Amino acid sequence: MSYKIPMGPYHPALEEPYKLDLICTGETVTDAKLHIGFNFRGIEHLAETRNYIQVIALMERVCGICSNIHTLTLCQAMEGLTTLTPPPRAQYIRVVMAELERLHSHVLWAGIAAKLMGFKTMFMTCFELREKVMDILQAISGNRVNYSMNRVGGVNRDIDDPQAVLKMIDALEAEMVRTVIPIFTTSSTARSRCKGIGVLTHEKAISCGVVGPVARASGVGQDIRKAAPYAAYGEMEFDVPVQPDGDVKARLLVRALEIMESCKILRQALTKLPPGELFIGDGKFDFTKMATTTSTSRVEAPRGEVMYSVSWKEGSRNPARVHVRTPTFAVMPAIRWMVLGARLADTPLIQASIDPCYSCTDR
Amino acid sequence: MTQLETISEKLGINVPWVNKGGVQWLEPGTVSIRELAKTMNELQARFITITAYQLPKDEGLKLEYHWDINGQLLGFPYKLASNSIESIYDLCEAVDWIEREIHEEYSIDFLGREYEPLLLRQGDTAGVNLREEVAK
Repeated sequence: MSYKIPMGPYHPALEEPYKLDLICTGETVTDAKLHIGFNFRGIEHLAETRNYIQVIALMERVCGICSNIHTLTLCQAMEGLTTLTPPPRAQYIRVVMAELERLHSHVLWAGIAAKLMGFKTMFMTCFELREKVMDILQAISGNRVNYSMNRVGGVNRDIDDPQAVLKMIDALEAEMVRTVIPIFTTSSTARSRCKGIGVLTHEKAISCGVVGPVARASGVGQDIRKAAPYAAYGEMEFDVPVQPDGDVKARLLVRALEIMESCKILRQALTKLPPGELFIGDGKFDFTKMATTTSTSRVEAPRGEVMYSVSWKEGSRNPARVHVRTPTFAVMPAIRWMVLGARLADTPLIQASIDPCYSCTDR
Repeated sequence: MTQLETISEKLGINVPWVNKGGVQWLEPGTVSIRELAKTMNELQARFITITAYQLPKDEGLKLEYHWDINGQLLGFPYKLASNSIESIYDLCEAVDWIEREIHEEYSIDFLGREYEPLLLRQGDTAGVNLREEVAK
């Protein structure tokens, strides 16, 4: 006999509201349906009522964790409208901020995953590390969540003391190597909860069009930083971790390895930080003389590819259309395939293993 | 032959690609969205999204379909004569949510598929142009 178990929209295993209707036979999940939109905010529509300065502040609120990524992608798209190229120092600072945000996001996710595994001490360790990353972000930008770093044509703030940031990166990496990565990769608790569960096959990952660490954990080696480099990523040397198994362990491993790669990128960007201006021009942008009326930008956010399409009517202060394709919107439908055949008790961890952001999805 | 030329040849389109705003654009002309989706599948392109536009005055609606092929972003604009277009859900699983979202926000029908509500809640009416509703 099969029965339906609703998980959400408000549930202890979910950080934000969405609903998973699980159809079960005994303890085994045989089908699942997802429901989103509980906090849909209509930000895309709201963006059409904001001018070119206000819209940056608005889009920063799409996501609470990768807020910087949203302003970066938007600003890059707006720069495409006006053919502005930010100065080299700004491009490097954008890389630093993007990688710090990736560290923040991945460490936060590791903590939540540990909590769902019943590994509370690891949860505390990860959140302690996350605090260190947030301290760096605060030291650079003055803010802990919405950093207000990006502007059209460059960045708003400089990194005054790269050496101090480097020291913090060293400390963070040492702690990751000493505790988090060995425990996640070798402990029997983590292995027993993660290995072989929530599998998304390579074929299904391709047909669902999943992105980011979820795709890479199913053997799809795509990363916009490599495939279509933006900011200063073309000058950075780093690897894109790919795992073939497609299970929760593979997703965990990919993110753990990405933390190490982020540290590598940060070290390069901070060491080679070129001198010069933070933004081009005098900070005023003439949207009455545009090179094109529609521009698109893509960025590799911590959860995968973000794409912004920005359309502007010449002479208008407001955008005509801002469309945001967030990574969770692309990845979330695949949860249905991950939970098929899984034990009911594993479903909270399986859905968390995509690192879902409902804020992004309900943009 | 470049990948872009291969796509043009497979689709039988003679107009050139236009590189604008970070996208390689191709006017599909009479090529249907289903033919396009099949070609994209053959070339193992990755579907990214559909962007819907409500055009000014009474010009109707436009959809821009985006695929990625080896890091190159492709765009195909489709201006809708009526409020409908064929669904490609059976050809490309990844379009499911975005077709449902556009249907709910712009009242565009993706023909040949069934919908389940995505953003709408019980009691809401599907198939209403929310943009026009807000403007009222």
